[in-house]
Amino acid sequence: MKSASVHLNLLKDTERLSSSPVRLRVMMPVVALFACLGMALWWAILFTQILMIRAEAQTIDEDVKAKSNAHAEAISRQDQVREMRQQLEQLTYYRNSVRALGKPLAKLAEVMPLKVQLTELSFAPPPFDPPPKPGQKVSPFAPLTNVETQRFVIAGRTTRETPVVALMESLESTNFVTLITRDKRVKSFRQDANAEKGKRRLLTFEVEYTMPERRFAK
Amino acid sequence: MKGGLQSMAPNAKRAFMTTVVLGVVAVAIYLLAVEPAIAALSRERTRLQELKDSQQRMTVDLNSAGTVQKTLEELEAEMKPFAAAELTPLLGSYAMRAKSLLDPMISGAGLSDVEFSEETSRKLPTPLPLPRQLYARAAVRITAKGSYQAIVSFLLMLEKNLPLVSLQSLQIQSQQQPAKQTVTMILEWPTKGALTRK
Repeated sequence: MKSASVHLNLLKDTERLSSSPVRLRVMMPVVALFACLGMALWWAILFTQILMIRAEAQTIDEDVKAKSNAHAEAISRQDQVREMRQQLEQLTYYRNSVRALGKPLAKLAEVMPLKVQLTELSFAPPPFDPPPKPGQKVSPFAPLTNVETQRFVIAGRTTRETPVVALMESLESTNFVTLITRDKRVKSFRQDANAEKGKRRLLTFEVEYTMPERRFAK
Repeated sequence: MKGGLQSMAPNAKRAFMTTVVLGVVAVAIYLLAVEPAIAALSRERTRLQELKDSQQRMTVDLNSAGTVQKTLEELEAEMKPFAAAELTPLLGSYAMRAKSLLDPMISGAGLSDVEFSEETSRKLPTPLPLPRQLYARAAVRITAKGSYQAIVSFLLMLEKNLPLVSLQSLQIQSQQQPAKQTVTMILEWPTKGALTRK
């Protein structure tokens, strides 16, 4: 005998339970709660770190403040040292340029031939820097060059050429290296136009020597 | 969840609502507390590092203070000869000061008819970095009469007594009397020049 089976589902959809052992409606709030707690814990850790760093910073700040006067003094001394070093460097440029010409000039009198009468010994001051050209960058504090070259002029009278040649040979010795270099030019050698008539024939001469460079450097 | 929130069972609805509220709270904690705390922590770390750097620099500077002091004393000693040689104006005049310094040597050498006049100062090359106080070359022109030996004797005395004075130019012109040669010389001294900054 065939019997008709009737399947009655009396559960509403909302009353149906999940077959999963983990219930989503329990787990979701729990996960959300843990997220909240995690955030709070994270904040607490950060806050603690901030407090610790602030405490450390305060200690260092107090130490820095306590040492600030002594440090300012130390810095001031360092500045003084820097300034003095630079000043000394500039003064050293000057000292290295100083030339002692007393001895060679004294020696000059010793090597002067008897037949030579000097009328002039000179070296002119070096020229000043020319005014800067428009647009030319020039330091307001320093000269254009740190080297000066001057010319030493010896002028005189003689009766013959040979004493002048002898004088020039003597001037090439080591006694005069601080006064002149070997770079020379005979500017003139001629009969003395001012010599009085009837007197002996006189010659005038003028020899120009390049002096050693005066270098303003270390 | 078919049918939306209305069709949910009360328990599920409560769970959903609780989840939403807790999620909002978590986001709020992150946005209002955690994120500002991260920024604050970063700032504090930067400040701490700056303070540490500053403290370290201070410690280094203070530890080297003794050496710096010693160097300063050495430099001051090195500076003394220059300070002594420096030409300072007397009554506003370099020529007056030069006269007061050179008169004994001039009379000792036997030069006469001496005149002093001030020349234009010249600049000295500058080191880098520029010092605050620069130095220059003060120049004084001296004209006198005397024998060649007297002139040389004066120059030798000058070199011995004032070794930082330099002869910038010289002109000796012979005259009828050998003891009355005319000499014109420009002497240079180091002197304080311009200030590069206040």
